[in-house]
Amino acid sequence: MFLAPRGGLGGPYLREAEDSAPVFQYVGKQAKRKERVFVWGFCHAGALGIPSFVKPDAGWKKSRRIQPTPYRLDTVEKISSAACGYGFTLISSKTTDITKLWGMGLNKDSQLGFQRSRKDQTKSYEYVLEPSPIPLPLDTPQQTRILQVSCGRAHSLILTDIEGVFSMGNNSYGQCGRKVIKGEIYSESHVINRLQEFEGRVVQVVCGQDHSLFRTEKGEVYSCGWGADGQTGLGHYDITSVPTKLGGDVAGVNIVQVASYGDSCLALSDEGDLFGWGNSEYMQLASITETTQVNVPRHLPFKIGRIKDVACGGTGNAIVNEEGNVFVWGYGILGKGPNLMETATPEMIPPTLFGLSDFSPDTRVSRIRCGLSQFAALNNRGELFVWGKNIRGCLGIGRMEDQYFPWRVTIPGEVVDVAF
Amino acid sequence: MAVRKAAWSGLNGLFTVYKPSGVASLRVRDSVETLLLKELNSLKQPDMPQQVRFLPTTVEGNAGKELTLTVTQLPVLAAHPLVRGPNFTHLKIGVGHRLDTKSSGVLVLGVGHGNKLLTDLYDAHLTRTYTVRGLFGKATDDFSDTGKLIEKTTFDHVTRDKLERILAVIQGTNHKALLMYSKIDLKTQEAYELAVEGLIRPMEKTPPLITAIRCLQFAPPEFQLEIQCLHETQKYLRKVVHEIGLELKSTAVCTQVRRIRDGFFTLDSALLRTHWNLRNIRKSIQDSRIKVQVELQRNLGHQAKSGERHTNMDQVTESELHRTEGISASNISPYAD
Repeated sequence: MFLAPRGGLGGPYLREAEDSAPVFQYVGKQAKRKERVFVWGFCHAGALGIPSFVKPDAGWKKSRRIQPTPYRLDTVEKISSAACGYGFTLISSKTTDITKLWGMGLNKDSQLGFQRSRKDQTKSYEYVLEPSPIPLPLDTPQQTRILQVSCGRAHSLILTDIEGVFSMGNNSYGQCGRKVIKGEIYSESHVINRLQEFEGRVVQVVCGQDHSLFRTEKGEVYSCGWGADGQTGLGHYDITSVPTKLGGDVAGVNIVQVASYGDSCLALSDEGDLFGWGNSEYMQLASITETTQVNVPRHLPFKIGRIKDVACGGTGNAIVNEEGNVFVWGYGILGKGPNLMETATPEMIPPTLFGLSDFSPDTRVSRIRCGLSQFAALNNRGELFVWGKNIRGCLGIGRMEDQYFPWRVTIPGEVVDVAF
Repeated sequence: MAVRKAAWSGLNGLFTVYKPSGVASLRVRDSVETLLLKELNSLKQPDMPQQVRFLPTTVEGNAGKELTLTVTQLPVLAAHPLVRGPNFTHLKIGVGHRLDTKSSGVLVLGVGHGNKLLTDLYDAHLTRTYTVRGLFGKATDDFSDTGKLIEKTTFDHVTRDKLERILAVIQGTNHKALLMYSKIDLKTQEAYELAVEGLIRPMEKTPPLITAIRCLQFAPPEFQLEIQCLHETQKYLRKVVHEIGLELKSTAVCTQVRRIRDGFFTLDSALLRTHWNLRNIRKSIQDSRIKVQVELQRNLGHQAKSGERHTNMDQVTESELHRTEGISASNISPYAD
């Protein structure tokens, strides 16, 4: 048996030709990575920000009802914060330029501010099909930066670094933090309210369905809006139109994160303790009380390790602890197969479903987010896993069926944040 | 006779051979066959049958030369090897998953009745592990370093961190493809349980799938990867190296592809060129016989019983290979090794 000669003939000849070939440089040593925004889900309201989905650019093309997989959205600036409401989206950038906030989608309650129509200067657009700048009444528009945006059912909250919180949209329950005016028409409204009634600087804003939560630097929580499920946590079931400080078990506790999406709320303290209030019809707080509405924050004594991130969805809640394990409880598709549809105590989702394996033993979940009946988890390798009810393709997995356990979403790039 | 019969009967089963690079796998198969035949034919031949012949001879008699018959014992020439030819002219040796000429590594061969097991091995759809060496800075037409040069690029911006990110993406997309090709109904509880244990695997012909990939060494321009895959060809692995180069905004070629595990046959049991003789091959067949039987039964029996994709195969080999690694997909192994 003999060895056949390797490669082609003419060794030194070939090497000379190779050495003299030009060397191409595609990217330099200091090349930075680009940040991008991807959108997916229901298109007809224009919330995705791509006009051709709703109004196709050629006559023979059909409009797209659902975008089932992530689609890139071109933005002018680097986007730092994004939030999804019901049929509308807000994206913001940390720039000091005058235009730092864009909105797209439904605008029937002026949740995107006043979008002046080109046909008639006095009217505002009801549907905004591409990211349009939202003018904010800032005192120093070239110095203020927007830190975070949040969207509820029909209202929006914008958090700035030096000028406090701005709110706009529907105020029928006082969720914008101003007095409820009977018979007010919210569409085509110019009203953007600035909220000043806080002791200290606000560092996080969260919108529930029809209520708002504010967290200050000192670790205090304020709320306003609808309270029929006790989601304002102020000890009563009425509406509140002025942001009021919460008491109960969170009084005196340094809260580091609040979360809400529907009608129930969760708060996390700096020592890793969990507090909940609001709706408990889906067993979110059933471990401590039998009542279905809790209007005062109560401590949830779960033994699930030191909690790092919380997320509160419409019917289910999820947390991530220090070790990167995800715990879920509540009602609905929780992520442990079709057999687990409701639980009052947190259940852990096995970390192998989030990319942990023999070949990559230090993969951990770093962030968790909730939608109405969906969950999203980000791991430290930048992979996005989603599960839950796949309403109109909102999971972005390419299929229309519900997903009963965490499924990886194919996104070109490393995911840094997700909004439902 | 007894030696020959024993030798012959021992040659039924599967054994592994280390194929060197630069040689086609069919040539390896041919040379193994030639060597075995040469040894079998050189074994001690039984004594040649003798026959009693009455041959006419001349004898000095009374009236001069007389014709008489004398008894002689002569060997039967019809039984002579130079007349009949060698005893063993052909051995049925089949090749398992092929390796192309430029790659090296574990090659499974089946001999005699073992050829039937080769088909079973194919149907079990087990994974294979390769170590692949690559070189940054060049792109060639056949993705290896001996092909025609297409382009040269810079690679000083490539770091280990970037490479590992690309590998994570590859692993994630292939893992998803694995679940999709398994044709299992994702809405059932058993799909969830299989996904948790990492046991979902397609049990029919699919495009090449990578189940796991990681970087072993990184010393630009060279790097080494360990790839665990299913239904692959070596050309596909070279293409993966090329694509990794493209993703890193540079180019890469593959310098070496080496198979270190084929199903449950590892490098330890592979015979080197100098050990290709009858005794070693028989010993290798004997050693692997029980393991082959058990594993194939487990893989295929389970498949036939419930038509499900469920096997502990990779679990066993992974727990054997990566015993020192931290967390394993499932810590329950029937072999408490």
